[in-house]
Amino acid sequence: MTDKNKEASVGSLSMFSYGINRIVSLVMFFLIFISNINPVRVATIVNKNSSLFTSAISYTTLTSDVGRGFRQNWVSEDSFYLIMVAAIVLLVGIAAVSVASCLSLGNNKCKRLSFLISVIGTVVMVVGFALVVAAHSSMSSSTRVEKVGPMIPKGFVVYIVLTVIGLLTAVLGFIGVPKKKENELFEMESKYKLFLMFLPFALLAFVFCYLPLWGWRYAFFDYKAGDILSWDKFVGFKWFTYLFKNAATKREIVNVMKNTLAMSFLGIATSWLPVAFAVFLTEIKNLPYRRIVQTFTTIPNFISWILVYTVALSIFSTDGFINTFLSTVTNTAHNTNYLMGDSHTWLKMLLWGTWKGVGWSAIIYIAGISGIDQQLYEAATVDGAGRFQKIWHVTIPGLMPTYMVMLLMGIAGMLSNGLDQYLVFSNAKNMAHMRVLDLYVYQLGIMGGSIPLSTVIGMAKSIISVALLFMANSISKAVRGESIV
Amino acid sequence: MAENKNEVVVKTKSNKFKVIKRNRMTFGDRIFYLLDYLFFTVFTFTCIFPFYYIFINTISDIDKVNKGMVNFVPKGITFQNYLDLMAVSDLGTALMVSVARTIIGTALMVIATAFVGYLMTKDEMWNKKFFYRFLVITMYFNAGLIPWYMNMQMLGLTNHFTAYIIPSIVAPYNIILVKTYIESIPSELEESAFIDGASYMQVFRKVIWPLSKPILATIAIFGAVGNWNSFQDSLILMSNEPKLYTLQHRLYIYLTQTSNIGKVISSDKTAVKQAAASAKIIKYTISMVSIVPILLVYPFMQQYFEEGIMLGAVKG
Repeated sequence: MTDKNKEASVGSLSMFSYGINRIVSLVMFFLIFISNINPVRVATIVNKNSSLFTSAISYTTLTSDVGRGFRQNWVSEDSFYLIMVAAIVLLVGIAAVSVASCLSLGNNKCKRLSFLISVIGTVVMVVGFALVVAAHSSMSSSTRVEKVGPMIPKGFVVYIVLTVIGLLTAVLGFIGVPKKKENELFEMESKYKLFLMFLPFALLAFVFCYLPLWGWRYAFFDYKAGDILSWDKFVGFKWFTYLFKNAATKREIVNVMKNTLAMSFLGIATSWLPVAFAVFLTEIKNLPYRRIVQTFTTIPNFISWILVYTVALSIFSTDGFINTFLSTVTNTAHNTNYLMGDSHTWLKMLLWGTWKGVGWSAIIYIAGISGIDQQLYEAATVDGAGRFQKIWHVTIPGLMPTYMVMLLMGIAGMLSNGLDQYLVFSNAKNMAHMRVLDLYVYQLGIMGGSIPLSTVIGMAKSIISVALLFMANSISKAVRGESIV
Repeated sequence: MAENKNEVVVKTKSNKFKVIKRNRMTFGDRIFYLLDYLFFTVFTFTCIFPFYYIFINTISDIDKVNKGMVNFVPKGITFQNYLDLMAVSDLGTALMVSVARTIIGTALMVIATAFVGYLMTKDEMWNKKFFYRFLVITMYFNAGLIPWYMNMQMLGLTNHFTAYIIPSIVAPYNIILVKTYIESIPSELEESAFIDGASYMQVFRKVIWPLSKPILATIAIFGAVGNWNSFQDSLILMSNEPKLYTLQHRLYIYLTQTSNIGKVISSDKTAVKQAAASAKIIKYTISMVSIVPILLVYPFMQQYFEEGIMLGAVKG
């Protein structure tokens, strides 16, 4: 950063090599999590869902398909220990190579150390490859080779190619670095330092938020849970057209969309309730009372939908409060289960949602009201405005901007009703009115195992949601001159 | 409205306005306040009563509950139900899992969020703008439930405790909140630390972390409640590992599979009814156990909760 001892710059070929080197290390790093490209899967008997990373850390995952193989002595456990050791050695090597490529962002001294670490890492990886080969030959020499199925894994080749490129670029980069100077210190520009501090979190965000997009490929394959994807199962847009061609599915989708949109529109149509709640609560000038109301009405927001369902059970089920109370009062048995039927299902769900959320949503408006200039109220009083006129002409306009944001966010989230509420409240009788999109995808994909079809629906949902968000955002920009995202 | 004309005549200086109004409560005002108080009292009642009702049922004598005598006050107080819970298998493990994920998950999330929030205020970071957007986009866009599940499976996180922890470390929404908060801290504090030769890490630990404690408390509370209540990940990811079910998931199973807990099978009708009643009470008791942490924490933390929602509103 400082120019005190300006260091000799590194040539452009060298810089280019470092660029390639970093990309290669990054790719290697990601590949350790991908089960399709596992360099240590040297036999078909090894768990196909195990990535290099899981192979190194979990012996049980690695051998989860081998139980019979061990019992019948098809294959010795030593081969699997060998695999695990190979995986660990490879991981150490990859870690070293990754560290080296991060370090190459620093000054010349850092770059020289980076080269050293890179070479060490590569040597470690070569040892790892040797162990993989040993594991392969150990698998090939097992008693029932046809059951064990030794093979050269695709990941093995991929990793060897990557390692060679990584080593070459490290050497090329190192050649361009000037000779060592006296009293040189390890230094790195602060922009790269900050970047390296952020890198682990960027990787986490990538792995958990962007990598799932890779799963969209299932939409184009004829995939059943547990299979391995291969090109001969590629079906193009079959599942997309299936949605519209298959009469039964089409009926289901129409029903699901009806429920989803109905619940969302009911939610949007009642989105003014928290505003009214806030307005009428702030009309009460008794502060301790207001405090109590606020405290207790926000509690339901913080309990899970499962606990809300317990609440529902305790009040409305056969032996819940209402039945017990009525039985005691009238002295005749009351046994109605108010939760089972399918009458007014949408309305009931709306009421539960309101019960849970209204107090909480009102807080933002209560704060908004206390932020309104008191002089406006005084001026309105001087002009002869009554209570409701003041509410209508001062309070409501003051809350409008906040309300608009909430409303637009509601519109943007129209397809996401959430899973929990509908899952816990649904039963055989009311399912026809309960199955919203999120619940449908869950039932279809997780419970029913129709991975491709539910992926297609999920894709459509994601894309439409983003489109809705952009629409809401541009409406907000046009009307209020402010964006909401 | 006639009553307001009265007010206007009397009112000259704005400050005296309130006093006058209170003294001149008209008939219309009385009706309004009556209805207003009535509504809020009833609604507040509906928000507490179920919890109270569940609670008195769990501490009452089972026979009296069975006879429908426990409606408003507990009868024959006993804590036997809570002791009986220890006999319900899997519940202890579920409780441990929930507690562990709440503590570990929240702690890691808060530390990571504070650090990333701080980094995101550093404009000199390489490609900072890009990385900030990279994080923000994830709030508005996700691939969908199934691709997410397949991804977790590919990463080997299904049926593994770390699936509760690692994915929630980076929380973009909280990062935005913390970033906004840190930006409001006077930059002189940080600059003087840099002049004294502090590194980024030192500035973060010694300056930023202590100063942003209010916002960190807020996100910690939200994170903890979220972790405690979460059940979707347990439901979807832990299908082959019942030992890792969270408390909420266990409760869900008990609620939906009716006669699972009572386990008293008898041809005698009263015994069957008894078993059903005790199953109900056990459900209630488990619910109480999972509500109590929130009810205990809530009154003390309410201020943080409310700050949280306000921060969310002004984030812009």
